Amino acid sequence: MARYLIRRVVMLVGIVFVISVGAFYLIHLLPGDPAVVILGTGDSPQNRAILFKELGLNKPIWDQYFIWMRNILHGNLGTSFISQTSVAGTIRAALPIDLELIVLSQILAFATAIPAAMRSARKPDGPLDRVLGATSFTLLSIPPFIIIVLLVLFIAIKLQIPHTGPSSYVSFSSDWIGNLESLALPAFTLAIASFVVYYRVLRSDLIATLQEEFITLARSKGLSSRRIMWRHAFRPSSVALLGTAGVNIGGLLASGFVVQYLLAIPGLGYTLISAIAQSDYLLVQGIVLVVSVGVIVINFLFDFIINLVDPRISRE
Amino acid sequence: MSDRLLEVRDLATTFATAGGPLPAVGGVSFDLNQNETLGIVGESGSGKTVLSRTIMGLQPRTNVTVSGSARLNGFEVVGASEEAKRGIWGTEVAMVFQDPMTSLNPVMRIGKQIDEVLRVRLGMDKAAAKARAIELLELVGIPSPVERYRAYPGQLSGGMRQRVVIAIALACSPKLLMADEPTTGLDVTIQAQILNLLDRLKSQLQMSVILVTHDLGVVATRTSRIIVMYAGRVVETGSTRDVFQNHRMPYTRALLESSPKVASHSHTRLQAIPGRPPNLMKLTAGCAFAPRCAYATERCHRERPELTAAEGPGHAFACWNPLPTTRGAS
Repeated sequence: MARYLIRRVVMLVGIVFVISVGAFYLIHLLPGDPAVVILGTGDSPQNRAILFKELGLNKPIWDQYFIWMRNILHGNLGTSFISQTSVAGTIRAALPIDLELIVLSQILAFATAIPAAMRSARKPDGPLDRVLGATSFTLLSIPPFIIIVLLVLFIAIKLQIPHTGPSSYVSFSSDWIGNLESLALPAFTLAIASFVVYYRVLRSDLIATLQEEFITLARSKGLSSRRIMWRHAFRPSSVALLGTAGVNIGGLLASGFVVQYLLAIPGLGYTLISAIAQSDYLLVQGIVLVVSVGVIVINFLFDFIINLVDPRISRE
Repeated sequence: MSDRLLEVRDLATTFATAGGPLPAVGGVSFDLNQNETLGIVGESGSGKTVLSRTIMGLQPRTNVTVSGSARLNGFEVVGASEEAKRGIWGTEVAMVFQDPMTSLNPVMRIGKQIDEVLRVRLGMDKAAAKARAIELLELVGIPSPVERYRAYPGQLSGGMRQRVVIAIALACSPKLLMADEPTTGLDVTIQAQILNLLDRLKSQLQMSVILVTHDLGVVATRTSRIIVMYAGRVVETGSTRDVFQNHRMPYTRALLESSPKVASHSHTRLQAIPGRPPNLMKLTAGCAFAPRCAYATERCHRERPELTAAEGPGHAFACWNPLPTTRGAS
């Protein structure tokens, strides 16, 4: 276990390094002089020269990278030339919204997908399994941006539930009930996509596990079906579920962006899209870096949980 | 006389499959007394595993029809609800499974797997269950049981795992222990250890044992009576001595001749049974063994023989052309 963990951490550091190089190089990939890109074409050559020095662009590229990296490690992602605000500050304000959305949607998705998969697996091809299978397929085929639009139409506009419409985000610190209301529809939308994936993965694994001999042995001990399902079938069936969840939460950030943009919720996604629209490259770079590292860390975390769940995986 | 533990009458198990009904077990009747060891012998696919599971009501929950009767210590297993059967599982009857590589939960510590049954079925508290589980591990001959208590099945050898399976089966002191091919998945050197362990536990704990196997060598010295099965039916039954020395059914002889004997000269060719076990979905009206039988006559193909009593106590065979009796000859 310890050796496995060390190996994974080394890998994690390697991947983060590659990502940081990519994010750093993002600015240099843009066509033309970075100073022109940052200041715009209309600015004077003198200003450009000052900025050039200020940014250290006259130094060799690896020096630039190390300076940049050192700043990042000190929590400094630079200052946006568009809004004149600290990139790290902007991200710090937006990130909690994304985290809250992810946590809410994942709680919803797991709380529904696990019992649904268990009921389906208890009687595969039974009436309930068929209904759930058909429902999940239908939900799978509707993209999140359609679901959110339909939800807004029915819940926010027809039913007039407060804070659920577009541009009605309420921060958690000012009014937590309003905050939950304003995040309910996006969280629900993201939960639907996760539910479908989790339900299908867990259902098929549970069906396979329930045919194992150790389940018959558990039955022969005189244990209840409920206990057999939770204590004996669930854990060995949840490895693929956890792996999928790790990948899915990363992907969720992307669909979260779309939903945030549609409802003008000021999370990272919304911020990123406006930053792109305003050519605020330093902000784009900062968000790309934070999101990429976040995805890697989440996957690492799920890998770790999988190891706790199934001791066979890290055994040498 | 109330020392009868199990009464099986005309028990039949049929699976509903995509290709039609599959009669896995049919018309099986026998009795088992307390502290008796019964052997059920037959080739793969002869229905012995299905029979042993049906007797304790452990057949799959869907697509199965069971008829007849199996009374275990007064409890009618056939037709009982899963909930009612839970009341006898573990405490009245328990099973040792065939393959210890698959019959233990791979992600649960073995101690927990023993604990669980003690806590759920006997209502023991955590500490008492743990102490008892370690006692059981010791009983089945697992060295350093306190450390092993925390092991996962993957950290134990096949023989050790089978000992754990036996410990689970014994946890609630069942009156009947079903051992379904308990040594098939193990190395030959371990097989004898496990069988001797079962023997010792049987007399120590005053249990009845049903030993299901394809290996006649296993039942020869360990059972008092034997049931020989073919294509889901009993074809010969009797005392172990009668079945070994005075068998009348040609299939029993074929089975005996196909297992190696220590007394044979080296390089003696084993007699394989020609042909293959029949497809249970395409059984004819005649004797199921007739197509592979050297003594088969036209009648054998047309009409199925019922069990007929032979001279020995409880000895019976199902054959139109039985082998001559050797009783009194030697």
